[in-house]
Parts: sequence; structure tokens; C-alpha cells
Amino acid sequence: MRATIVRLASAVMAFVVATAPALAHTGEGTGGFLAGLMHPVFGPDHVVAMVAVGLWGVFLGAPAIWMLPVVFPLVMAFGGVLGILGVPIPGVETGIASSAVVLGLMVALAARPPLWAAAVLVGAFAIFHGYAHGKELPDGANAIAYSVGFVIATGLLHLCGIAFGLLTRWPFGKLAVRAAGGAIAATGVAYLGGLV
Amino acid sequence: MTGALVGGLAGVLLPTHFLVIVALGLMIGQGGRLPLVHVALFAVGFLAGCFVIATAIRETPAPILLLGCAALCGVVVLAAWRPPIMLTTVMTFAVGILVALNTPPQALTIRAAMIEQVGSAIAALLALALIILIATKAAQPWQRIGVRIVGSWIAASAILVLALRLAR
Repeated sequence: MRATIVRLASAVMAFVVATAPALAHTGEGTGGFLAGLMHPVFGPDHVVAMVAVGLWGVFLGAPAIWMLPVVFPLVMAFGGVLGILGVPIPGVETGIASSAVVLGLMVALAARPPLWAAAVLVGAFAIFHGYAHGKELPDGANAIAYSVGFVIATGLLHLCGIAFGLLTRWPFGKLAVRAAGGAIAATGVAYLGGLV
Repeated sequence: MTGALVGGLAGVLLPTHFLVIVALGLMIGQGGRLPLVHVALFAVGFLAGCFVIATAIRETPAPILLLGCAALCGVVVLAAWRPPIMLTTVMTFAVGILVALNTPPQALTIRAAMIEQVGSAIAALLALALIILIATKAAQPWQRIGVRIVGSWIAASAILVLALRLAR
């Protein structure tokens, strides 16, 4: 069982690391399930933040481990609605990059704030991510398939984080997960600094 | 046979139908009350929708309403709220009507159109029954969490597209 978990976590990490380095928000508006599924995956700023949510959920333990991934898509949808309606929110890309910094640091420091505080923090960042997605949601017949695709992709990225976070059961795993949190925060800093 | 298959595919594989049927099935299964009655209600609703189509009324807002139903059911599922039986029965009947309204047959003859509608009805009913069964059997804590996560995904997707349709 343990070997399976380790193999699964390794595969998930390899998948995450192998994703192409490209920004998610190119302004393209193609439809379809696969397009929606690939949209968050091809944006490292999104990928690291989503994975961080899963990792942090593991550190926080139950019920956060499942509550954050359950609540995140809904709050993200609220942000998406704001984006669709064109409600101006300043500094969206900065907010997305900041989400990677803050959530990465939370994981790296193994921070365990109260559940409500974690939920508010993750929810606030979810609005930025949702806003960016909502602005690029394609109209037409494929809008539903596209939305389902990117919501599932977001959820699967959370699950990747949770799967990798399960390594915290072992001492070396805790170190690895916290190091991953540091790497996520560094990625966010790189985006904030315009280095990527 | 081909007509029934085409109707069946439209009944379940249209993204809106897929979303709403899964969300409705999860909501009914999670509530765990009178699953067969709900399946029967869905069938009656579908039949009522077919009669409405036969009267050849103008275009209906079925797609928007279906998305609204999917969002509502998804939120109920993610909250793990056991809704009142009145809500689930009314919702099931309404979704039955709306799914029928949203799949007007494309066939040229009445016979072929009826076969398509029968195909849609059978596929939608089977899908609904299957989802209800899965949700009813999901007794383990991790299975219930899985159901809630799927509800969350459906609600998020439906809300986004609903906003898009209403805004543009």
C-alpha cells in the first residue's frame, strides 16, 4: 500500500514537473472539453497554486484536506462570474502570482492557522484564478464542455497536491513536501518579479 | 434503431444534460429517499415535455433553466444537505420536462421523431438511475467526499456557463 502511494505520488510529481512552461492567460478563446482541461495545466502559475492548495490541505489535516478542494471550485466560479460580467478587479495576475507565494510559504512553513482563516485565504486567491478563467471563457456551444474541462483540471491539480502531500506520513516526506512548498513560493516570486 | 441511438446520445451526451442528470442523481442518491419514485417522476416529466414539444411552441429557455437546475443540485450535493422531499420531486419533474424540451427530435417523420424521443428518454432514465444507485451506495466517508467534490465541480461549471449565457 505504502509502495503504491509512493509510486503514485512520484508519478503525479513527474506529471506536474513535466508540464510545459507557458502562461495560462494568452487571451485565446477556443472551446471544447480538452481545451478547458488543458487550459490550467499549461499555466505554471495556476498549476503551482492549485497543487499548493492540495499540499496545504494535507498539512492542515481533516476536514481541510477535503474542504479546501470542495470549496475552491465554487469560489473560483464566483470569481469567474465577476470576470464574465467584466467587474474590474485590479492586479489579477499579481494576485495569482501572490497566491503561489503565500500558499507555497504556508506549506514550506507547515503553517496551521484556524480552518476559517485558511478557507478565507484560499477563497480570496480562488477569486483571482476564477476571474482570469472567466474572462477567457469561450462563448458558444462548447462553453459547458470547456468549463467542465477546466474545473476538472483544477480539481485534479488539487488531488495531485494531496497525493504528493501524503508523503508527509514519513519524516523524509515531510521535508520533501515542505521543500516543494518552498519551490512553489519561489515560482510565485519569479512570476511577481517578471522573471518568467 | 439508429434513430433511437441518436436520440439516446442526445439525451445523455449533451454537456448540459450530462451535468444536470449527474447532479440530480447525486442529490437524490445523497438524500436516499424514494429513488424509484424519483426515476418515475423523471419519466413522467419527460413525457410531459414531449407533449409540449408536440404542440410546436416557440423556442424555450430550457438550456438556461437546465443550467440553473444543475447549479442548484450541485450546491445541494456539495453542502451534503438533505433537501426536503418536495424540492427533489419538483426538481426531478422539472428536469424531466426540460431535458425533453432541450432535445427536440431532428427526424423528418413523426415515427422517426418518436423513436428518437424514446431513445432519449431511455438513455436519460438509465443514466439517472445509475447515478442514483452510485450515490446511494456511496456510504464510506471518502466516497461521500468524492460525491461532494463532483457536486462542487458541477455547480462551478454550471454557474460559470449560466453567467456567460446571461451576460452575453
